[in-house]
Amino acid sequence: MKKKLLAILLVLLVISTLFAAGTKEAAVTDKEIVLDWWTWDPDMVEQNKTIMATFEAENPGVKINNTMVGTAEYWTKIRIQANQNRLPDVFTMSSGYLEEWAKAGLLYNLDGFIEKDDTFDVFYKSIFDTNKATSGTDSYYAIPFALVTTVLYYNKDAFDAAGLAYPTNDWTWDEFKSAARKLTIDTNKDGKIDQWGYWFYGRYAHIEPWVFGNNGYLVDNKTMRFAPDKNAMDAIKMLTDLVLVDKVAPAQRDMTSFKQQDVFPQGVAAMWIDGSWFVDILRKNLGDDMRWGMAKVPTGPNGSKDMTYGWPDSYAIAPNTKNPEMAWKFARYVAGEGIDLDVYMAGKIPSAKKLAEDPLFADPKKQPGTDMNLLIEQAAGPMKNSYTMGWSEWRGYGGSETLGLNGTIDAIVNGHSSFEDAFNKGTKNINSVLTRYYK
Amino acid sequence: MAGVSYKWHGKLTPWLFILPTVIGLLVFRLVPIVSSFYLSFTDWSLLGSPAFLKLGNYKELFGSREFLTIILNTFQFSCIYVVGSIVLGLALATLINVQFKGVSFFRAAIYLPVVTSAVAVGIVWNWMLGPTYGVINNIISAVGLTPPYWLGDMKLSLNTVAFVQVWKMSGYYMILFLAGLQNIPSETLEAARVDGANPVQSFFRITLPMLLPTVFFVLTIAIIDSFKNFELIYAMTKGGPGNSSNTLVYDVYLNAFVYYRVGFASAIAYILLIFVGLLTIGNLYIRKHYAQPLD
Repeated sequence: MKKKLLAILLVLLVISTLFAAGTKEAAVTDKEIVLDWWTWDPDMVEQNKTIMATFEAENPGVKINNTMVGTAEYWTKIRIQANQNRLPDVFTMSSGYLEEWAKAGLLYNLDGFIEKDDTFDVFYKSIFDTNKATSGTDSYYAIPFALVTTVLYYNKDAFDAAGLAYPTNDWTWDEFKSAARKLTIDTNKDGKIDQWGYWFYGRYAHIEPWVFGNNGYLVDNKTMRFAPDKNAMDAIKMLTDLVLVDKVAPAQRDMTSFKQQDVFPQGVAAMWIDGSWFVDILRKNLGDDMRWGMAKVPTGPNGSKDMTYGWPDSYAIAPNTKNPEMAWKFARYVAGEGIDLDVYMAGKIPSAKKLAEDPLFADPKKQPGTDMNLLIEQAAGPMKNSYTMGWSEWRGYGGSETLGLNGTIDAIVNGHSSFEDAFNKGTKNINSVLTRYYK
Repeated sequence: MAGVSYKWHGKLTPWLFILPTVIGLLVFRLVPIVSSFYLSFTDWSLLGSPAFLKLGNYKELFGSREFLTIILNTFQFSCIYVVGSIVLGLALATLINVQFKGVSFFRAAIYLPVVTSAVAVGIVWNWMLGPTYGVINNIISAVGLTPPYWLGDMKLSLNTVAFVQVWKMSGYYMILFLAGLQNIPSETLEAARVDGANPVQSFFRITLPMLLPTVFFVLTIAIIDSFKNFELIYAMTKGGPGNSSNTLVYDVYLNAFVYYRVGFASAIAYILLIFVGLLTIGNLYIRKHYAQPLD
């Protein structure tokens, strides 16, 4: 009998433990407002703690719970939250999913808040408008905390050694190619290139800046089909020729032992175009080991100098939040209104004017010094990006970067397909994806 | 024990003891297995409710040339892995099945890659196989040959990843074979030696036939393991170049967690389940009818 009783108790204990794990951690008093805040960048853990402490101090009775999810798992986990109608009050939102989520009714419409307060005195309206355009709706569904763009990173030591002037924001494609030729060097004369002039592969941040910088487009926004125009194809052909004809850039398959972001800092390529957020990473990883600078992506022959490829990173509010007013207040705060530059990731362009206009944004003591002003200039100009629904699949992103448009371009530079064959096959595959999303 | 009833309604206590495990199996195994079967007939991005497509996902899969490539890749990987791991595992076990000072060190060293993270293994092999700076290609160049693109060549990438998987896991099969070898009575081998059998004859006429039950056991495990190749493919090639090293498991990942086509991914998973199930049944049949222990 005792044994039976013990067994029943044991089972009840296990079951109650399982159920307890699924319940809320702590009871909340009636007057306390608790906001759940989800973010995707674990590197920001310390900054987030500072932000929460200051917000809670300024808003007694408000408690912020920050859940930090690794970038790779973030979208799976938050999609499950959305499915269960348990979205956090405030959460990081990518431009890549903005259209899908806004159209699915999973984001709080912010128009009402924006109309009745001073949002555009505090934030740049142009960045909000880019978000609105990306959402494919007539409303604001996310509050941008940053604009992200792409820039040309260059190795000053390599330029000095080659006796070349540094890139300017007025560089043409020809000037860029001329420098790339002179920077492609076989230092020890063993027949192998030791320093390439430039490095790229089919990655979105490596291709789109050239396409939009030549006034091209990849997806026809009327038909929503992949139909790159002549300007876009000229830009992509110019790039693939850098590998196959000019031989100033390595093929993607030559760099498989590197992480793509390590090729430039390791000195294997003297120029590289990628996201402006790499300012923070280069500062941390390179220190003073290399002198490097930053310039605008060279404008194509048909392009406009002020056109930029970029997109906002944003916060969104759950449509069913119990505290929409406080969620909006916190979203504004964390998007830049209430924070200082020292808790802001370098290289991202603040949407809050006070951060962008802070003289320390282009701190001359930190690389790349006053080159950082370029980012502010770019933020003020017109902007395009390639995001659509199904973008990760047709573009070839993350785990699928060997497929889609990324794989198409890599197949050309790796010599697996001719330019025409690769694009014929790629276009068919890409449109089979877009057709599913845009009937 | 005679007279003890194990009818399900007869005794409550055993059921109470296994209840936590049964609940765990139901919640974390059976429910997902049944749910994903239903999901394989739907279109679901995790956001809304699944939309029923009937056989839409299966029709799309079997109408796709890429999917055929992925199935062939899966079987190519599987063949290399099963044959490679058994041959290498058996060879290592035979070499190490001797007693000398320090043999434990070699056994541990060979087993070490098994317990090393696949991502770490992938990164290190990526460095070693690097086209320009990799140690392997530098050795090949040093002897005057043109080194290949191990991971950048569409014909080589899958074989290269499969080889690394064999290298990583052969220590595990070595341990299984070693256990089998040590069960072979030394008197039998000694008798063969006295009768004039040389080591090669002894291996093929005595050791291998007596090891057959272990070989079939290892074969079953290796076939099932050969389909679990996600981590190394993710770390080394991401299924590329193109689809050249993409396999069913990796394609499940892409569709479920990159494209969020959960229904489509479930359909791929069920096709994989059918393949693994058929192979396992075939293997069990062979084992039952042809691999009885010789004693």
